[in-house]
Amino acid sequence: MTRLAFLWDQSRCISCGACIAACNAANYGSSTAPNVSWNWLRTNIRRIELSNGPRPMLYLLQCQHCENPPCVAVCPTGASYRDRDGLVKINYDLCIGCRYCMVACPYDARWFNESMWAPVKCMGEECQARIAKGEQPVCVVVCPAGARDFGDLDDPSSSISRRLAESRYVKLLDNMGTRPKYFVVVGP
Amino acid sequence: MRNGDAMYILPNPSHPQPGMCARPAAAVQMWGHPLRLRKPLKRVGQRGEGKFQEVDWDTALNEAAAKLKEVADRYGPQAIAFTRHDHLSWHLPLIASLMGTPNVIGHEGTCHDASTAARQAVLGAGGPPAVDPDYANLNYLILVGRNLDAAMGSVRALARAREAGAKIVVVDPRAPNIAFSSVEWIPIVPGTDAAFLLSMINVIIGEGLYDAAFLKGYTNAPMLIKPDGSPLTQSDLGQQGSAYLVFDAAANGVKPLGSAADPALDYEGDVETPSGSVHVKTAFRLLAERAAKYPPDKAVQITGVPADTITRIAREFATRRGVVEDGWYAAKNGNEFDVYRSILILNALVGNIDKRGGLCFQEPAKFPNSCTPGADRIDTILGASLPPLKAKRVDLLKYPLAVSSFDALLDAVLTGQPYPIKALIIVGTAPFHRDVNTGKLKEALRRLDLVITIDIFPQDHVDWSDYVFPDLMFLERSEVSSAPWTLDAAVVYSNKVLDPPPGVDARHALWTLLELVRRAWPDKAALIGYTDKYADYSQFEQYEDLMFGKILDYLSKAWNISREELEAALKTRGFYLLKKKSYGAKPYKSKLSTPTGLVEIYSLTALKYGLDPLPDWTPPPAYSQPKAPNEFYLVTGKDQNVSGHFVFTYDSKYLTDRCVWMNPADAERLGVGDGDIVTLEGIDNGFTAKACVKVTNRVRPGVLFTYAFAGGHASALVDGGYDFLRSGVNPQWFAKGYVAPVIGTAGTNSAVRVRL
Repeated sequence: MTRLAFLWDQSRCISCGACIAACNAANYGSSTAPNVSWNWLRTNIRRIELSNGPRPMLYLLQCQHCENPPCVAVCPTGASYRDRDGLVKINYDLCIGCRYCMVACPYDARWFNESMWAPVKCMGEECQARIAKGEQPVCVVVCPAGARDFGDLDDPSSSISRRLAESRYVKLLDNMGTRPKYFVVVGP
Repeated sequence: MRNGDAMYILPNPSHPQPGMCARPAAAVQMWGHPLRLRKPLKRVGQRGEGKFQEVDWDTALNEAAAKLKEVADRYGPQAIAFTRHDHLSWHLPLIASLMGTPNVIGHEGTCHDASTAARQAVLGAGGPPAVDPDYANLNYLILVGRNLDAAMGSVRALARAREAGAKIVVVDPRAPNIAFSSVEWIPIVPGTDAAFLLSMINVIIGEGLYDAAFLKGYTNAPMLIKPDGSPLTQSDLGQQGSAYLVFDAAANGVKPLGSAADPALDYEGDVETPSGSVHVKTAFRLLAERAAKYPPDKAVQITGVPADTITRIAREFATRRGVVEDGWYAAKNGNEFDVYRSILILNALVGNIDKRGGLCFQEPAKFPNSCTPGADRIDTILGASLPPLKAKRVDLLKYPLAVSSFDALLDAVLTGQPYPIKALIIVGTAPFHRDVNTGKLKEALRRLDLVITIDIFPQDHVDWSDYVFPDLMFLERSEVSSAPWTLDAAVVYSNKVLDPPPGVDARHALWTLLELVRRAWPDKAALIGYTDKYADYSQFEQYEDLMFGKILDYLSKAWNISREELEAALKTRGFYLLKKKSYGAKPYKSKLSTPTGLVEIYSLTALKYGLDPLPDWTPPPAYSQPKAPNEFYLVTGKDQNVSGHFVFTYDSKYLTDRCVWMNPADAERLGVGDGDIVTLEGIDNGFTAKACVKVTNRVRPGVLFTYAFAGGHASALVDGGYDFLRSGVNPQWFAKGYVAPVIGTAGTNSAVRVRL
């Protein structure tokens, strides 16, 4: 089996914005059209700052590539599906733009792309093409802080598996039964 | 990377300074930006109105060149001045020398001026790249008022140290981006860094945690100082020679510095001289006495940092042999010269200079200068020599230890002293967002005979320019330089990958400048082989190749390497590694360029210019202390999501907030909510402007923070979907305009009153 997953190291991330901007550049052609759903740029990564706690905290949110994805369960046409590589994808030939998936996602990880009249999310077309060639998604490649990784959980020798084995990490909204595969590392 | 018509930028992981942040990631937006300056512009309204007509390149260049020549003929060529950021900083001395003016005055007075003066004074070193922490190998790092740059590679190098368990301490009134990661953030009262650092020195000396062998062998800490503050020398004793003296515990008497078997560190005593007995103390003891003014239980009252935190950080730093970062963009409170001297002294106290994981000297790349002034001539990279310049830079006449002080240039415009400046050429920089004293800048821009701007975007000063020439952005030109942000010696090269987008008739700024020279003084341009042929812009790449070839010649000779191999590596890989960092050279095997050749705990350079030879803390002179409940410090700074050009991008609309940060406790006390609009009033200059409040724990109570360069853009040329550039405030509006004597560093922080 292959179970592709993302790792984001919250204890290392310096919030430089490289992944956010690079996703826009690579997957959305450096688009300067608005992302109305998120009031944000056209990128698959959101930046959430927790400004009221005891210390500054940051979350970068994106598709969790859940093993039990609600977006797939609610999709009326089968457009949203979980691929054999473990990634949650959208087949745009089947998508009717109804946005049930957007509502169903507890992470609010999808946004509506008016240019395509369809929901979009991680990973974008260019990143899918990159991983098909054996390359890493752009967010991982550009990160200057070593705060990102991507790879196969079922391969114990993969970088992501090794990092997870030696880190403390959390999964977001794990209690919702979504079985997310976006691992938030909080320390060694 | 290209994907059909789409393009995006990835970092080169093998590069000596591999990096990335939002800014280069968004560069394609910058390239095709609708606000890019597209054609040469000629002013038709009043200065400041931003009314222009588009003119062709020939007309604009001929008119501007004629006016430059008129200024030079009437007032002398020194009346022409340039200001720049880093773009073309290698070429501008050559252009200025051709015109006959020394006045290339950079941005440093509001940037790294004070840290560079401190590096000069304590380590005999130059600008920020000359000395840097060994980020990849350090064990404990203290960042004082510094947000680390990701695009330049430091963050990627630091990631390796963090992997190995390095601790990072951030001392800053606001949490820079890096404070989102696992660091210890110490939110200090603005302008009190020196008190915090001197308190650390107090703990380290008091608890004997310093490296005595290093201090004795490689610093001037054992130097004996007379009561008047000057060092004791052989001539004081009526002896031959002028060597500085130390007390040799082994010989139980004074010996010249560097020749004692056991120079005493902590010593005072009387020395007999022909004119009587003199009571001397070692520089180390004077430092200990100075630091004793700031024990942690007193420093807490100044800095707001708990005494036990200061003590703990001092112990951790000394026992883990840490490194304190030596300063970069840091002109904030006017008292930074003392901050950076304290920092360098701390690094020396723990003996962590030029060691693996310490504060290290960069391996010099021996990169040539475009021109090198000599006694009777100026040698140029192109071979030909130019006549020497007669005048001295206006800013250095006023601030002798400055790198640059733009404020002194404004003085010269307004007062004619030390001599008049009549023409200003502004290259790739943003004086209104960069410099303190907005009113003075406007008045100077009104008074100048000629203002020329070369840029890619409508920064505020564009509206005040007589001629505006559109420049290339970095993807549109090739560029070679030494690699600044690595300890290794390396040369880096960026290939031109794009032409300007359709409708943008931008040209290489170097061509624009050389054309101004050629059209005004054809004989001078001809001296460096720049002839009429290059008036045809399509021929200019040949001239660039000529210059590039001269640089390759120079480097291949200096390093004894193959020119072809060097060129091939630069053009294919983007870099050539000349020499890996080897530790333990300075000050161990070779002397520093300080007066004593040693690390100067006690600065003879400062003494020479009438400054205190030891660092001290003074209340920040750059603004009045906030007192009333609605009065705040207004702190400013950058981060990886801010630069003068990046802020124009659409991505920046979201990635760079243009609000004023306020601590939740202050917000609750004043009844201000997140997103509320308040009025800010400069306590020192009365300037008022409205600003949106962001309530966040990223700033210390009593302090407001807003990004420099991001908010309050005012050019009439900003329109369309980019109105967000007008939102927020430009923090320089509120700055008092303070400039520190001798050093020339300005204070960009200020004090403001908040009105609901």
